[in-house]
Formats: sequence, C-alpha cells, structure tokens
Amino acid sequence: MDARRFAALAEAYGGDLRRWPQAERAAASSFASSETGQAILRHAGTLDAMLDGYGIRHPGKALHDTILRTANRHMVRRRRQRFWWLGLGLAGIGLAGAVAGLALVTVVTPEVQPDHYVLDANATSFGDAGPDTIEEDL
Amino acid sequence: MSADPDEELVRRVGAGDPAAVQTLVARKLPRILSLAARMLGDAAEAEDVAQETFVRIWRHASSWRRGNARFDSWIHRVTLNLCYDRLRRRRELVTDDLPEMVDPAPLPDASEEPRGIEQALQSIAPRQREAIILVYYQEMSNIEAAATLEISVDALESLLARGRRALQMILVRDGVHD
Repeated sequence: MDARRFAALAEAYGGDLRRWPQAERAAASSFASSETGQAILRHAGTLDAMLDGYGIRHPGKALHDTILRTANRHMVRRRRQRFWWLGLGLAGIGLAGAVAGLALVTVVTPEVQPDHYVLDANATSFGDAGPDTIEEDL
Repeated sequence: MSADPDEELVRRVGAGDPAAVQTLVARKLPRILSLAARMLGDAAEAEDVAQETFVRIWRHASSWRRGNARFDSWIHRVTLNLCYDRLRRRRELVTDDLPEMVDPAPLPDASEEPRGIEQALQSIAPRQREAIILVYYQEMSNIEAAATLEISVDALESLLARGRRALQMILVRDGVHD
C-alpha cells in the first residue's frame, strides 16, 4: 500500500484501522508503522476523537415499554385476523362443497320427462288456437 | 452471502413469540434510536421514528424474507427513510414560513460559543451524514453500509471523505478544530 491510498482510506474511514475495509487492513497495518502513516493517522484521529464525544443516551424504559405494548397489540390483531381468515376459509370450503354437490346431483340425476309435451306454441287447453289451415284451402 | 444473525429471531417474531419480541427490541432499539437521533439531531423525533420503525417490523416480520440485504440493513433503511420524511417535512415548513423580508439581526439562538460536533453533523449534507453515521457510529463494514445506502463501496468512500472534510471545515470555522 502506498501513502496515497493510505491517506485516502484515512480520509474516508478515519484513524482507526478496525473501520477500514477488511481486504486492505493487513497492508494498511504495515504502512501504519511508518512515519508518514503515523502522521496521517494522527491527523485523522483528531476528528475521530470529536466524533467519539457525540454520545446518545440509552433508550428509556418508557420508550421500551411503549414499543412492547405496540407489539402486543399487533400480535393480538394478527391472531384475530388469522381466526377470521380461518373462518372464511372454512365457509368457502363449505360453499364449494355445496356447489359441487348440486352440480353432481344435476349431472347424475336423469331428466324427468313430463307426461305430455306441448308441441305447438298455439295449442291451448281447448285445442289448437292457431289458424285452421286445410290442405284443400291452399 | 454470510448467514444473517437475526434471521431466526425475526422468524420467531413473525410466529408471535413474545420472548423473541423482547429480545429483538433489546437488541435493535439502541441501534435504531442512535441512528435516528444522529440523523435528526432531535431526541423526541428520534423516539417517534424508533416507534414507527418497530411498527413496520411487527407488520413485516411474518413475511420478511432475506433478499440481498440482512435484516439489520433493512431496518436501517426503514429508519433512514422515516428520517428523510421528517427532514423533508422540516424543509417544507421552513420554505412555507420564510418571511418576505429578511431580518439582518442575528438569530436568537446564534451565539459566539463553539457549536460542537453535534451541530456540525447536522450541517453537512444528509447523505454524507448518513454514511458517517453508518460506518462510524453504527459500526457497519464498508460493504454493509454501501448495501444499506444502495451505492457502491467507491461511492461510499467518496461520501465519507467529503463528509469528514466538510465536518473539519465547519469545526475549524467554529473554532472547535485546529
């Protein structure tokens, strides 16, 4: 590793080699003991020390408990939804069974023939109401 | 791709295991909160973002499948998106409330005191801030951070270098850094 690459990495990742790309850490480590390497790391370390000073408080119990309550509500709602979907699924299966049964009955049962057929749309209970057409008249 | 250390835990959360829920909150809440707090520079808003992130986790845990990203990267992405929504809203509010005449007097909170790293971090570009927070504070490797930001490692290095340069300039200007 040359000084240029070492400086570029220090500029991006700071002065702590543990944050540097794993693939370049061994080569960087050798270069770090040189005078140039030391100077580069010292310069980068100044900003690192300032970044270290910016701490964030650990989450409070109130926030922790609120998040757990939300989780609990969500799980209860999901269980209910699952129950409803199960009910709907069973109802769907029942309905599908009924439709299939009806279809089966329709296919298997032979068609019932009526005693007589109305052959002519003009026929009434008193006889054929259509115009009398006698072959001789034609 | 290496194994995801959170995969089994997320599966148990998805199955409704209360112990897994507690473990996940204990494991991830500090990370999510510190990410949001440093992105937004506001503790109360950060807590809101942390809560919203967990609502999304509960909603997606049962269907979460590992694609290209680990679960930790996914929650970082969710948190960052929620932070960006809030930063965008802030910008819109500022633009809407902008007075027609600019008052030349100093702002009430403007002081001669050094502003420190916290304010300096808020002053740099959000994308640069994001990169520094992920690598420096969230202790992500360069590959994980680049995957979370959906950019190449080279682009991440460029963001980091520009971000650190910008921070140094602000801190020198404010007399905090030599």
